Amino acid sequence: MSEDALEYIKSHEDGVLQSDLWKALGIDSRKCSRLVAKLLKDNLISREIESADGIRTYRLRYSRQVSSQTGKFRSLMAIELFEPCAGCIEECMPEHCAKLSEWIFAIVIGESGDIQSKKVDAARS
Amino acid sequence: MPSEEVTDEHMAEVTGISLNTVRRTLYLLYEHRLAVYRRKRDPDSGWLTYLWQLCPQNIDKALESEARRLLRKLDSRLSYEKDHVFYACVNGCARLVFDDASEANFICPFCQGSLEYMENNRIVQTIEQQMKAIKANL
Repeated sequence: MSEDALEYIKSHEDGVLQSDLWKALGIDSRKCSRLVAKLLKDNLISREIESADGIRTYRLRYSRQVSSQTGKFRSLMAIELFEPCAGCIEECMPEHCAKLSEWIFAIVIGESGDIQSKKVDAARS
Repeated sequence: MPSEEVTDEHMAEVTGISLNTVRRTLYLLYEHRLAVYRRKRDPDSGWLTYLWQLCPQNIDKALESEARRLLRKLDSRLSYEKDHVFYACVNGCARLVFDDASEANFICPFCQGSLEYMENNRIVQTIEQQMKAIKANL
């Protein structure tokens, strides 16, 4: 179903309103929200707030910046850093490679950041 | 890079990136079948011009091959992390395995700061999670 939603969004160059998407797909708005959340998580679409007939909804657009059509290789990205072995011509020693270490540490630090921000959010609420 | 054919000189001019870097990048893309070129000879000067074009249809295959390569490297790194005890400089200069740290009398060889035991559970977990995520998509 998420493929159908993506295809529908992709086929509309100016994007589609979320309130139109669920009607077009013949599903209810709650299911549509879940599909949209998944597509956003996979970086396949972007969205911005828009009002239609006085009701707040979202305009969904297909994300062209995603390198892979499926977005399934996102795990090769650590925060802002693409995995360092791509195109690397240096002697390969994964045990001691500084670039690989940097990439792994970026993920560790990124996760700590997430934990920290969640703690801050929890403290605020 | 536009979808139509373009020369390396034009790319360097438009992007402001040095011609050498543009050429090195294009050959890397070519090796991974992500770009192709066509040679055109100037009838007057006899010089060859290389016209480059991207092959975005091959990106998934190239990424899959990169993912498999990375998996093998992460596997080696994981074993290394699991099999060793690490000591790190308190000033963040270096991380040494126990034998090297002991040989250095637990003094950082770069800044003479103290080397202290470093827990690497988070690193092991992160590598395992990352490997799992990559495997799940292959």
